[in-house]
Amino acid sequence: MMRGLGKRFLALLILAGWMGCDLLSSEGKGRDWASLGGLTSADAVFSNAFQLPAGNLSPAEIEEHRLSDVAFESIFVTAPATVNSGLGPIYNQNACSSCHSKNGRAAFPTNDDLGGLLFRLSLDGTGPMGEPREVPRFGGQLQTKAIFGNVPEGKVQIGFTEIVGQFPDGETYRLRKPSYTLTHPYALMPSHVRISPRIAPPIIGLGLLEAISEADILRNADEQDVNKDGISGRPNYVWSIENGQQMLGRFGWKANQPTLRQQNAAAYRDDMGITSPLYRTESFSDQPQHDGRADDPEINERTLYLATYYTQSLAVPTARNQEDSDIQNGRRLFFKVGCEHCHKSSFTTAHQAPFTFLANQKIRPYTDLLLHDMGEGLADHRPDFLATGHEWRTPPLWGIGLTQVVSGHTHFLHDGRARNLQEAILWHGGEAEATVMRYKQLHKKERDLILKFLNSL
Amino acid sequence: MKKPLFLLFVLGLFTACDDTTLNDNKDYTAVLENTVNNVIIRTYKDLDDKTANLVTALTTLENNRTASTLEAARGAWREARRPWEQSEGFLFGPVDQQGIDPSIDSWPVNEVDLNAVLTSPNTLTKSYIDGLEGTLKGFHTIEFLLFGTSGNKAISEFNNRQFEYLRACAESLKGATAQLYHAWQPTGENFGQTVREAGKNGNTVYLSQKSALQEFVDGLITITDEVGNGKINDPLTNADITLEESRFSANSKADFADNIRSVSHIYNGGLNNVASGISISDLVKARDAILDAKIKQQIADAIAAIEAIPGSFTVAIFQQKSAVQLAQTNVRDLQLTLEGGLKPLLDKF
Repeated sequence: MMRGLGKRFLALLILAGWMGCDLLSSEGKGRDWASLGGLTSADAVFSNAFQLPAGNLSPAEIEEHRLSDVAFESIFVTAPATVNSGLGPIYNQNACSSCHSKNGRAAFPTNDDLGGLLFRLSLDGTGPMGEPREVPRFGGQLQTKAIFGNVPEGKVQIGFTEIVGQFPDGETYRLRKPSYTLTHPYALMPSHVRISPRIAPPIIGLGLLEAISEADILRNADEQDVNKDGISGRPNYVWSIENGQQMLGRFGWKANQPTLRQQNAAAYRDDMGITSPLYRTESFSDQPQHDGRADDPEINERTLYLATYYTQSLAVPTARNQEDSDIQNGRRLFFKVGCEHCHKSSFTTAHQAPFTFLANQKIRPYTDLLLHDMGEGLADHRPDFLATGHEWRTPPLWGIGLTQVVSGHTHFLHDGRARNLQEAILWHGGEAEATVMRYKQLHKKERDLILKFLNSL
Repeated sequence: MKKPLFLLFVLGLFTACDDTTLNDNKDYTAVLENTVNNVIIRTYKDLDDKTANLVTALTTLENNRTASTLEAARGAWREARRPWEQSEGFLFGPVDQQGIDPSIDSWPVNEVDLNAVLTSPNTLTKSYIDGLEGTLKGFHTIEFLLFGTSGNKAISEFNNRQFEYLRACAESLKGATAQLYHAWQPTGENFGQTVREAGKNGNTVYLSQKSALQEFVDGLITITDEVGNGKINDPLTNADITLEESRFSANSKADFADNIRSVSHIYNGGLNNVASGISISDLVKARDAILDAKIKQQIADAIAAIEAIPGSFTVAIFQQKSAVQLAQTNVRDLQLTLEGGLKPLLDKF
């Protein structure tokens, strides 16, 4: 009797364990798909999901992260000022967090304040370091704001064309194609200026992307498409100021920055008009807006270090419900139609990393950090170092399913034109054309599974 | 051979599952509705009402420039500041996603540009101020002009343009608080419904009721971290008064205490120590009464210690260090309990 009861109890217990905890899958396979940022991952499904410190920081590193958060949140004001001095005189926004609110993705702008959307400018040809050729009187980026009494470089008028398409099963879809016109130039704008819109991306996981070894990235490159899968994958090589040579580009929509430090210093200078130990002069120092003040660099080494540390030490949110059968099926389809050829699902960061919490992490960024021809529809026709006017760097997909809760919208792609994930998929062309064709040919139910999988990341 | 393996397996189940509720069909609708309707929306309503009073007070000041209308305007600023600070425990949704926060609470003030605007011939209207950066409007710009850098600016030190700017700036602030209030209402984007109806079909923001509760609790952790490790800590450890947020009005202690009151309001499900419905506290109490009592006590202790700091915070960071440190410790203790007790408990809901 006792024995019998005990056995049944045990059996029940085991059953309960299997159903309630899903022990094997959550600790084994499922977990493996969930920890997108390795040990830096943190469980979060709320609006601060992109603002958590990496899960594997030491107490001292958490304190450093907190200080770095202050640097990232700092709002700059006109010089001279006791705190955060040196904004502009021309700029796009006055704080890192103005564009990367809650560290998330900026929405497509709805009014004159372009929010987290900016515009790079260039003329045909290249500068001395291989960079896009600057536009006389405007430089490489359009600063659309100015401190009081100064003139911004210009404004941008945005228009849309609606594109209607149809899936083989008859369902229709609509895409909006934005067009951008520069208006109110403060000075004579040369004709044939090439203009490239760039929206502020989420800033999670960047330290991990920096910690992937160059060899691991280049392993996926196939410039001549030797394996005949229709996908090339090209590395960008861009100028490193501190190394004084070309380096593999990793950051930015065209992989035009080699390191987070340089990426951040460039954002300080070009987006906020803040000089730093890396860029000691304003990008517009030859323009009439320059204030001529001898206050450069406007941030010191410690602040630049902290801002960079912040972008290195954030958690990547854990993917949700990876053992759910719909999501597993969606993932299988993601692989099957070919998304994973570029949105690579597996890397291990290098043994040698800037910080130990970034080293040896098994990560799932869903990017290869390489350039791909995305077709005419997305082309900006503005080369950036080795990237052509049709190429964009594969953006990571981790955290993409949290865009709505973090940022309150679901605008995707380099300028935020896609209003949801499916529109983003449908905009893919060029090397991704065959993959998109396969996606379109899926049953609606299967397309929804892929979207469900993406929303679980 | 067989037996130990089997035992290990069972043991493994126990340790992996811990005391996780295996099948929780709990309905948290009442908590979500009470928190949204009676805490969040009421706080925003209060903010909007008190900001309307601030507009009135600054209009009166512009029309009748006396020491007493100045004092009344300063009082109206402090009154409007309270519900804002009491909303900082739930800085999610429209306040961030519609870019409203920078228009209300940007810091520091862009003094150079402010002076340039004041000496310019530009007409100072609400819409003109609306078009300026957050560092030229909102609470801190009004504070700077109204109190002066030492907090004792005399009525004789004001000029015409400052009175105009203050009134227009308050009107612009009122626009922002109205936008925020309506964004949670059916008259606006109805974000309140998004939170109340968490987990319902078609809700793409909060896929479960639990995720909305996690949003609340993360907000509480964030503000206690901000007060203990930022707002108190940065001026204190750097001995730097320029890092103090509401220094000009000497309102920092009130700011900090109201921040912790926002924790109390969300946790206890009602304003000013009066629960207006089912609260997070009720959920906690049913599972861990000791934890619930501890959180309540630590909230009270943190507020009491902040308010017990003698004099202004500006002076206290130098002359009343131990009182400031006690307040900081109490806030940090509360944060630890929220992070180490409340959050893990909620994760198991």
